[in-house]
Amino acid sequence: MFYIEIYTKKGFKNSHGEHVLSDILGIGVKDITKVEYSPLYVIDGDITSAEAETIASELLSDKIIETYICRSEKQSKEEDGKIGSPFSVIEVWYRKGVTDTVSESVVKAVKDLGILKEIKVKTGHKYYLYGKVSQIVLSDVATKLLANTLVQEYIAQ
Amino acid sequence: MKKVKVLILRTAGTNCDCETQAAFELSGAVAERIHINALIEKKDKILEYDILAFPGGFSYGDDIASGKILSNEIKNKLGDKIKKFALSGRPIIGICNGFQVLVKMGLLPDPEIFEQISTLSYNDSDKFECRWVYLKTEKKIQNESNCIWTNNLPDVISLPVAHGEGKFIPNDEKLLYSLNKNNQVVFRYSSKDGGKPEYPLDPNGSVEQIAGICNTKGNVFGLMPHPERYVFALQHPARESISGEYGWGKIIFQNAVDFVK
Repeated sequence: MFYIEIYTKKGFKNSHGEHVLSDILGIGVKDITKVEYSPLYVIDGDITSAEAETIASELLSDKIIETYICRSEKQSKEEDGKIGSPFSVIEVWYRKGVTDTVSESVVKAVKDLGILKEIKVKTGHKYYLYGKVSQIVLSDVATKLLANTLVQEYIAQ
Repeated sequence: MKKVKVLILRTAGTNCDCETQAAFELSGAVAERIHINALIEKKDKILEYDILAFPGGFSYGDDIASGKILSNEIKNKLGDKIKKFALSGRPIIGICNGFQVLVKMGLLPDPEIFEQISTLSYNDSDKFECRWVYLKTEKKIQNESNCIWTNNLPDVISLPVAHGEGKFIPNDEKLLYSLNKNNQVVFRYSSKDGGKPEYPLDPNGSVEQIAGICNTKGNVFGLMPHPERYVFALQHPARESISGEYGWGKIIFQNAVDFVK
């Protein structure tokens, strides 16, 4: 299983992150100073790490303004849990059983790339929130702005 | 008189193909809307046409990024034919989502390289921007650009935009310099008098307000605004027109058809 996270390169505008920050200020949360947004993809299947790299570089990221990290899911979660980091993280994923239309498009596009192995794809959203906020505030931001809890679940840490 | 044949490539999510077809037919061409799967089955069919159009819309739902999945599909399944078409000097146009496809597969700005060296990213506002804007038609008054699509346009025209990812970003300063030096920047967002625009007339924050570019030969052209939505004067909210009946967009399609004739 490969966990791919797409980052905006330094020097380029993270428009969605800035929009989310504006929305956060709009609901009265003042302690968050910056938000960065990253799309997430989990690819499960019998693909090699070289194929996962190809998918990340050729398909999922825009080589002009984005970069990516492609690694195992377990490693990523351990790193995000670090105590003392300057940001909090909220990840948003579809609940099991909910149709993930983007994942279906990714599966098609991976085949177009010439990687014909059977894969399953899961897509998510990751928000880095800079500033000191409590778990209660994080949950508030997640439920009011970032996740539709009827069809999505979130992890805030 | 030669009948000019136009291929309008469509796929899931394309939604400006009918207007594009109508614009070409109004300009005297015979235009066909063909699904990409049909082209993949008969790849040589592409070279039977005189003009190739990538229309606007939301191909594959804009999943991953606008135009990304279609550009990936075209490049991997039809890339050699598309490149051959472009290098033969025949006109190619990419409108909005079609422009995103051309840029992301690397047919613009340089079809000879055929690698992505620029991009169209999220609007600075992070919103879908839909309105009429002004465009400065760079260098055409002095006829310094080779672009065959933008002849006979005045210094400033008006066309509608409708996109969420239209911010043009070149790979580096060197490319930007070369686009300017070679007169490949053919449209820039502007104020009504041709000056530098502020949001919302600048809808996306493109580098140097770039709204449309062509290759050095001038046959491959991509733009974010929609010329097919302004072929009749009555389509403009202020009923602006060239000479009563037609809109500025008509000239763009007519230029390509006349070029082939």
